[in-house]
Amino acid sequence: MTWGLQSASVRFGQTPALTDVTFLLEPSTVTVVVGGDGAGKSTCLRALVGLVALSTGEARRPGRRQIGYVPATGGVYPDLTVDENLAFSGGVYGERGATLLDKSSATLERFGLVDAHSRLGGHLSGGMQRKLALGMALLHQPALLVLDEPTTGIDPLSRSEMWRIISRAAAGGAAVIVTTTYVDEAQRASSVLLLEQGRVIAQGSPSSIVGAIGGTLGVAHSATRPAGLSWRWGRAWRVWAPSGPLPDGVEPLQPEFEDAVVIASMADRRGEQLDV
Amino acid sequence: MWAMIVKEYRQLRRDRRTLAMMIVLPVLLLVIFGYAARFNVSTISTVVVGPQAEQVAAQLQAPFHVVEIDPGGDRSVAALRLKDGRAVVAVVTGRSSVLFLMDGTQLFPVETAESALGRMVQRAKASGITPPPLTVQILYNPKLITSWVLVPGLAGLILVFIGTLITSLGVVRERQAGTLEQLAVTPLRPWDVIAGKITPYLLVAAVDLVVIVAVGMILFHVPFIGSVATFALGAALFLLVTLGMGVLVSTVSQNQGQAIQLAFMVMLPQILLSGLIFPISSMAAGVRWISYILPLTYFIDISRGVMLKGAPISALWEPLLLLSVLAVVVLGLAMLRFRRDLAPSTRRSRTSITTHEQLAA
Amino acid sequence: MFELAETQAVTMRYGAFTAVDSVDLTVRSGEVVGLLGANGAGKTTLIRLLLGLVRPSAGVTLLFGSPPSVSGRRRVGYVPQTLGLYFDMTVRENWDFTVAAFGGGRADMPSNLSDVKDQLVGTLPLGTQRRVAFAVAFSHAPDLLVLDEPTSGVGPLGRARLWEDIRSSAEHGAGVLVTTHNMEEAEQCDRLVVMVEGRVAAEGTVGDVTGHRQVVEVRSADWKGAFEVLDAEGFVIQVHEDVLRVPSGRREVEGLLERRGVRATVTTVPANLEEAFVAVVSAGSRG
Repeated sequence: MTWGLQSASVRFGQTPALTDVTFLLEPSTVTVVVGGDGAGKSTCLRALVGLVALSTGEARRPGRRQIGYVPATGGVYPDLTVDENLAFSGGVYGERGATLLDKSSATLERFGLVDAHSRLGGHLSGGMQRKLALGMALLHQPALLVLDEPTTGIDPLSRSEMWRIISRAAAGGAAVIVTTTYVDEAQRASSVLLLEQGRVIAQGSPSSIVGAIGGTLGVAHSATRPAGLSWRWGRAWRVWAPSGPLPDGVEPLQPEFEDAVVIASMADRRGEQLDV
Repeated sequence: MWAMIVKEYRQLRRDRRTLAMMIVLPVLLLVIFGYAARFNVSTISTVVVGPQAEQVAAQLQAPFHVVEIDPGGDRSVAALRLKDGRAVVAVVTGRSSVLFLMDGTQLFPVETAESALGRMVQRAKASGITPPPLTVQILYNPKLITSWVLVPGLAGLILVFIGTLITSLGVVRERQAGTLEQLAVTPLRPWDVIAGKITPYLLVAAVDLVVIVAVGMILFHVPFIGSVATFALGAALFLLVTLGMGVLVSTVSQNQGQAIQLAFMVMLPQILLSGLIFPISSMAAGVRWISYILPLTYFIDISRGVMLKGAPISALWEPLLLLSVLAVVVLGLAMLRFRRDLAPSTRRSRTSITTHEQLAA
Repeated sequence: MFELAETQAVTMRYGAFTAVDSVDLTVRSGEVVGLLGANGAGKTTLIRLLLGLVRPSAGVTLLFGSPPSVSGRRRVGYVPQTLGLYFDMTVRENWDFTVAAFGGGRADMPSNLSDVKDQLVGTLPLGTQRRVAFAVAFSHAPDLLVLDEPTSGVGPLGRARLWEDIRSSAEHGAGVLVTTHNMEEAEQCDRLVVMVEGRVAAEGTVGDVTGHRQVVEVRSADWKGAFEVLDAEGFVIQVHEDVLRVPSGRREVEGLLERRGVRATVTTVPANLEEAFVAVVSAGSRG
């Protein structure tokens, strides 16, 4: 069973939020949707789980009991304790009695929430709240895990733990789709979707995206903006020549994934598309 | 400091809801007070029974407004009219003195009636006519105790408070925490969510009602003559309406502040126009129609009727039916709007821009 | 280059709790310093000490060479995570307010914001909001900029444009202190200061912080099996596509996998910034 979106477009009134997005999710894989704010990442996920109506195209997903969804904000009841939050989520997905208790305690342990189990959701730190929300979504062992910006704004340590949990879910057989604004996280995916203003401007495994960029990448150490397409990197500038040689004084450089993403965005601005 | 003033002004100009409250509300209150807030009553529905019904009826002038003349009727018929709420004053003729029965649950009409009677007697004497002997008997609330009339109404008001305001906050809190949307993805159906949300409030409100009535009875000695079952039925229907309104308010509010503003604007007319304080009969027609669409109006009919008059369910079928209709309409609307909230939306979610703010907070 | 802001062995205690423990921090003109740390590490307290919003329990804070003062704070531009903008006012109105509040007279808005100047800030995309917030903070020509996660949530091109603004202000002589949770952002800084539980646990360039740390890469046809084995041992594994990165030695990992019958190739590679950070934090935290 594969799930995902097929040629999906979403309009909010007159504004196109998603245009012709297609992706397939396989079990035991992690797909990452990257893009800035307003790129359509959340809309993508919400269309997948059925919170947003499609204007065209199709969304394929399993039954509700097989889905675990964590929205970008919230997901945790601030006036219920950690235990009560888990109990509610479990109950809603049909877990009862002894199994519910077992799964709840297992969740508390795996997510490092045992010490906080009787604390109110609103009194948890941002990172712990996100972990609890994730725990609630995983309690019923869904086949499809949908996470909207699970790591935005949380500290690097919690982020590292989040990704550990995500990897574990994938290793356990789930199909996972995650959105993020952090490009370095996209490298962890087996499949990346780069979104810009609702359109897919690059898609594929991280290595294939890097391999697909044409032209040459270079680095310039001048104080002023060098000629050509360039962007700041530390004290230096990165320069991209889509065709032909690099300008004078620019040394060539092997592109990394982050460079590929910037280049893909620039290419999109110029009206070209990356072929992956 | 000037920069601060300019900034606040610019922000206020854009906050439509607060502006509406600041400008519209005072105007509204003025209009209501102007047309509705009257303690003196201009018409009092009167029924005249007994052998001399016709003659006596002809002599009764404003504020008495004769709605029925029954020459064959007697005191029990007259009393029944009061119990059923068909009239405020029932005149029984054919006895040694003309008996004026008055409905003690209608404080202001009764006071107006008494003073009007007094004036009529004075005028007769002044023009040399000897008036017949008159007896006035006030039923149900003989001493015209205000608290007896107020407590049944207050019970309803408190239910309005809990039902509308607190329920709306409960649902909006869900929306603000971001969990409402998530519920749409779970196996829960919209009806599960609404019913699940309303039920605790229903139970608390029911307990509250019992407490208020009990306190009223113990502290103020308010009687409870009628059937508890009828009262409970009326209360249950009324609660469904107010809770449904709470859910409705929550579906058009994005945060608790807005919910409070809207709930307040919905509660205020009910406090002023439901007959709780100002008698409906004295309101100008142009404003009176509002009372007829307020659920509290009908609950007050029921609660006063049952507690003070012992009115049977047959007498109260009108307010009960109307409450049922209101309940169906309001809950139906609430369900529709709520389902829209939980269904695939065609609107952009407002949560995306506030992601970082909320996490940083 | 000269010191714009400096703390010398500054300590902040709240009762029995030490939020900042003997920290030396310097921000010089023309440089971008990144402050990295887990939540509760003391970053926010340190910044408040630096700006003079709170008095230290011990140690010295210097802002522009003297103890922090109101006039000193006028030379600081601060952009919090929440942007500090009024969402229900236009860009122009926000600009006017800040300029007036700082008493800077009539300054002109930068040309790169002119096409959005009459839009309500709340209706702009986040990247543009951040640029506006930055420009507004920079409107009174501050010498020191303190930015809290300046590019959080912004897309790749927007991030690049923001860093252009930040770098150009540094090149004009300002000193910039950036707090961040984001490795990419950290890599843009000239210097990093990593805080753990109130203390500086590591400092220097990205290269200094990652140092000679190494991890191993595990490539296997059965990545799930390898993952399960290593996860059960408690390692903090980074999964990239289907390659596992494990903070441990080659022999140990090979041995574990072999004992469980998982076939894999294990190679030693340099650690990345995130792995270094996790290692620093775990080593630096007591208990």
